Amino acid sequence: MATREVFESRWEAVGLLVPTVIVSVVFLYLPAVRAVELSFFEVGFGGTSTLVGIENYRQLLASGEYHASVAVSVLFALVVVVGVMAVSLFLTFLIHEVGVGQSLYLVASIWPYALPPAVAGLVFLFLAHPTLGVFTQPIEALGVEVDWFSDGGQALAVVTIAAIWKQVGYNVIFMIAAMNNVPKSLTETARLDGVGRLKRLVRVYVPIMSPTLFFLVIMNTIYAFFGTFAFVQVMTKGGPSGATNILIFDLYRTAFQFYEFGVASAKSVVLFAVVGVLMYVQFRVTEEYAHYGG
Amino acid sequence: MTLLETLTDAPDRTAEYLRDRPGVADLRDRLREDGLALHALLALSILVLVAPVLVATVVSTKELGIVTSLADLAPGSHAVANYRRALVDLEFGQFMLNSFVMSLAIVVGKLTVSVLAALAIVYYRIPYKNAAFLFVLFTLLLPVPVRFVPLFRLVTDLGWDNTMLAITVPYIASATTVFILRQHFLSIPASLVENAKLDGVGPFEFLWHVLVPMSKGVLVGVSVIMFVYAWNQYLWPLVIINDQSQQVVQVGLGLLRGQAQAGDVAWALVMTGSMLTLLPPLVLLALFRKPLLQTFTIQQK
Repeated sequence: MATREVFESRWEAVGLLVPTVIVSVVFLYLPAVRAVELSFFEVGFGGTSTLVGIENYRQLLASGEYHASVAVSVLFALVVVVGVMAVSLFLTFLIHEVGVGQSLYLVASIWPYALPPAVAGLVFLFLAHPTLGVFTQPIEALGVEVDWFSDGGQALAVVTIAAIWKQVGYNVIFMIAAMNNVPKSLTETARLDGVGRLKRLVRVYVPIMSPTLFFLVIMNTIYAFFGTFAFVQVMTKGGPSGATNILIFDLYRTAFQFYEFGVASAKSVVLFAVVGVLMYVQFRVTEEYAHYGG
Repeated sequence: MTLLETLTDAPDRTAEYLRDRPGVADLRDRLREDGLALHALLALSILVLVAPVLVATVVSTKELGIVTSLADLAPGSHAVANYRRALVDLEFGQFMLNSFVMSLAIVVGKLTVSVLAALAIVYYRIPYKNAAFLFVLFTLLLPVPVRFVPLFRLVTDLGWDNTMLAITVPYIASATTVFILRQHFLSIPASLVENAKLDGVGPFEFLWHVLVPMSKGVLVGVSVIMFVYAWNQYLWPLVIINDQSQQVVQVGLGLLRGQAQAGDVAWALVMTGSMLTLLPPLVLLALFRKPLLQTFTIQQK
C-alpha cells in the first residue's frame, strides 16, 4: 500500500515543527495559562499581585453590570446568527436558481467577506447618524424617531445590522458550495413533482446542507462573541448605558481602561469557556455526521 | 416587402437570426428560464448589500459630506483633494504602509512556518503525530481576547510595544493554515510521493519541486485568507500600539472618526479613509476569487 510517510528522520521532523511549537507555546499557550493564573490575583497599578482566590469570579457572579453584559452578548449573538444565516440562505438560493450572470451575482454577494469591521461600523455610524445620516430621514419618514445615541434598543439594533451586513459574504461562500453539491437529480425530481421553489429550499436543500449550516452556526457565534469588538468600539463604546456592552468590549474596558488585570483575566477565562463549549459541540456533531455519512 | 411587413416580421426574423448564433440564443433562453422576477430580486438584494459602500464612496468625493437628501448623493468634486489630504496630511499613507508591512510579514511568516509543520505532519513517520496535530489545532481555542492581558505584559516585557514585532510575531502560528495545508497534502496521491522517494528526493527538494507546484491554488487561497485576517485586525494593535506613527490603518480610522466628531475634519474625509481601508482586501478578493473559494471548501472539512 502506498504511504505518504516517506521520510524517516525524527530530528528533521522535530526541526520542521519547532517554529510552530515555539510560537504557539510562547504567545498562545503560556499567556492563556497565565490568564487563568492571574484570574486568582488582584493586580495593582505597580504590577504587584495579591492572591485573592476566587474573589474575582465571585465579583463577576455578583455584578449586575456583568450579568447585563452576558445577557446583551447572548441576545446579540442570537440575532446575528439567525439574521446572517437567514439573509445568506435567501441570497444563496437566488444565486443558485439563476442561470445567467451567476458568477457576477456571486462576487457581488461575497465581497463583504473582505470588509473590515472597523470600516463597516464607521460607514453605518455615518449612514444612520441621528442628525447627519442618509438613511435617517427615510426611516424617520416611516414614523420612527432615530435616536440611537441615547436609545439603547436602537443602538443595539444598529450595531446588530452592521455586524450582520459584514458577515453575509463569508456565509454565502460556504452556502453556495454546499448548495451546489446537492445532486442535480434531486432538484429535477422535486421539479417534476411540482414542488415549489421555496418548498424545495426548505425541504430538500436545507436538510442536505445541514452539516455546512451547523458549521456556520458555530463560526457565526464565534464571530458574534469575538469578531465584533470593532463595531462596538467605533459605533457606541458599549453605550448608551451598557446597551451594547458585549462581553468582549466589557473585557477590553476592564483591562485597558480600568487596568483591573485580575478581574479582566477572570473575564478572559469566561470567554475561553464560551469558545471551548462551542468547539466541543462542533467537534462532537461533526463526528456524528462523519459516522452517519451525512 | 413593405415597411409594415418588415416591422411586423421583425421579431420572428430576430429569433431566426438569434437561433443561428447558439451563444446568443442560448443566453436568451436561459434568461427567459430565469424569469425577470428572479433577476429583479437578486439585483435588489445586491443593491441593499452594496448601497452603504456606494454611498460612502460618493460621500468621499464631496467637500463636507453632509448628506440629508437623495439629491445630495451626486458625486462631488473633491475626490482628489480628499484622498490626497487623507493620505498625506492625515497620515493615512503611513497607516496603510504599516498595515501592509504587518499583513505581508504575517502572510510570509505564517505560510513558511505552517508549510514546514504540515510537511512534518503529513510526510514524516513520527510518533505522537496526532498529538502534535491536536496541539496545533487546540490553539483555535485561544483567540487574542482569551489571553490578551498576559500577552500584553509579555510583549511589553520583551520591549516590543510600539514595534512591528508586537503585531506580527504572535500571529505566526496558525491552526487554520496548518489544517488547510494538511488536508490539501492528504489529497495529493500517495503514489506520487513514493515515486519521488524512489528517485531519492530529499524533503526540501520534494517540498519545492513537487508540493509547491501542486499546491499553487491552495497557497494563494490561504495567503489571501491570512492577508484579509491580518489587515482587518483591530483589537490587538489598539492595545499594544500607542505611537501614532506605528499605528495600523484600522485603528487610524478610529482616530479620524474622533477628529470628525470633534468637528476638526469633515465627515467626507472619514468616508475617504474608510474606502482606502476597504480597498486592499477588496482588490485581493476580486483578483483571487477562485483559489480563495476553493480553499474555503477545504477549510470546512
